[in-house]
Amino acid sequence: MTDATSTQRESEESSDRATVLDVEGLSHSFGEVDVFSDLSFSVASGSVTALVGPNGSGKTTLLRAVLGLTPPDDGRVRLTAGDRSGRDVGYLPQNPDFRSAFTVEETLQFYADLLDREVDVSAIVDRVGLGEASDRRVDALSGGMRRLLGIGQAILGEPSVVVLDEPTGDLDPRMTEYIFEVARDLADDGMAVVVATHNLAGAETADTVLLLDRGDVVADGSPDDFAARTGAESFREAFLSLTAADDDRDSPAISASADGGQR
Amino acid sequence: MNRQSIDQLFAVAGRELTTVARTRAFLALAAGFGAIVGVLGWTGEAVGYVPLVLDLLTPVEVLVPALALAVGYRAILGDRERGELDVLRTYPVSRPTYVLGVYLGRASALVVAVAVPLVAVAALVPLFGGVGTTVIASHGAADSPVLYLRFVVLSAAFALVLAAAATAISAAATTTRTGLVLAVALGLALVIGLDAGIVAGLAGGVVPDEALGAALSLSPNSAFRGLVLSTVVGGVESSAPVSSAAGVVGLLAWLAGSLAIATLTVWSES
Repeated sequence: MTDATSTQRESEESSDRATVLDVEGLSHSFGEVDVFSDLSFSVASGSVTALVGPNGSGKTTLLRAVLGLTPPDDGRVRLTAGDRSGRDVGYLPQNPDFRSAFTVEETLQFYADLLDREVDVSAIVDRVGLGEASDRRVDALSGGMRRLLGIGQAILGEPSVVVLDEPTGDLDPRMTEYIFEVARDLADDGMAVVVATHNLAGAETADTVLLLDRGDVVADGSPDDFAARTGAESFREAFLSLTAADDDRDSPAISASADGGQR
Repeated sequence: MNRQSIDQLFAVAGRELTTVARTRAFLALAAGFGAIVGVLGWTGEAVGYVPLVLDLLTPVEVLVPALALAVGYRAILGDRERGELDVLRTYPVSRPTYVLGVYLGRASALVVAVAVPLVAVAALVPLFGGVGTTVIASHGAADSPVLYLRFVVLSAAFALVLAAAATAISAAATTTRTGLVLAVALGLALVIGLDAGIVAGLAGGVVPDEALGAALSLSPNSAFRGLVLSTVVGGVESSAPVSSAAGVVGLLAWLAGSLAIATLTVWSES
């Protein structure tokens, strides 16, 4: 498998990007069931990496292992601050929620107070587009605004890696598009953004896509690579082709993709 | 504990206090407790501070655990269910700091909710003409506001211990249902179960007579009751089965044990 800096699309602009997340030989199982085994990949600063795959493919468990929330059975995760000085990782969980009686600004201020340096909370509120709702209580926010609040929390302290677990689930197309714009904006500011998503249109805007299925990364690369490797006309078709059946994954094109990385 | 940990402690405690202060259910419970204390003080027509303590002792034993568990059992559990506990773990905050902050915030609110009505109801004593009463023959002890103040302090300490127990439940429970079951079970055990168990142990010979004091100190309610009887009521000290020292040790053990359980179960260090 290749990492985010190795794709053709990025090669011209990635010379100054540092690897900030390095996953090596990661394995995890629930009892007898292997969720994933021997996964390896790395993520560079200033990039958006989309983690896609069918339900139950292990995306959330993989992200939790990366974050240290679920200890892996085997393997290693190395988070490095790169050239940034903030905390290593920020996290937006699935369906994030916060204390309902607090306002947007109060919520972010609480988390900012846990950091070892001053944070301009108002700037974060503006950055995620909640400036006009900063005094609004959490229980008065829409689902999309709560996701934005969650992203605001995730980027407090300017972490090197921002992990967003399905940030667009149940959101309308406009909000979905906006959230991927925010993710791109964060990457442009030097953060490495890892997004687990079922939204293929959003995933197509990523620099790198990791396709996880049945515990394996069955393909990775830029969205254009996916189409090129499978002969599909679109990224969506490529995704469906790659996740269609076990037999399909043994095709030469996909095998070449899976073998081309760091595993 | 370094400066950053202290700042984090206050941040977490402040968040809990704010949460409680903005929760109507807690305000209603606190008002209910205050109303019950007020009604008991008024209808009891307390002619002295010690009689007032005797009027309030059992209600405090029953109501403070209920109030503490209601206020505290969802403190950490709520963060877990909202996913905020996972988020917190991406910040440089330790388990003891987080747990202690939650405890301090909730316990502070609880102490205020318990102590303020108890102090306020003491104003009824002069109203009923008890201020001139210096000796209560029926209890064989001098009556004094200082004795009542001791009761208030002991009640606050009792509340602090129960807040720790509620925090432990909140940290150990993984679902609202589990938390509710644990809270109800602990409430029943505190008010009825532990004492009943000790009585059964005595009757069955499992608990020897000479160990009664130590056994009673294992229950926060018994320890609190024993401390009130021995240090406030005084006249029945000789018959109070729990010594002051054993009672204090019992309460401290519950406090420390509960916070230790909360710290160990809130999340696992990987």
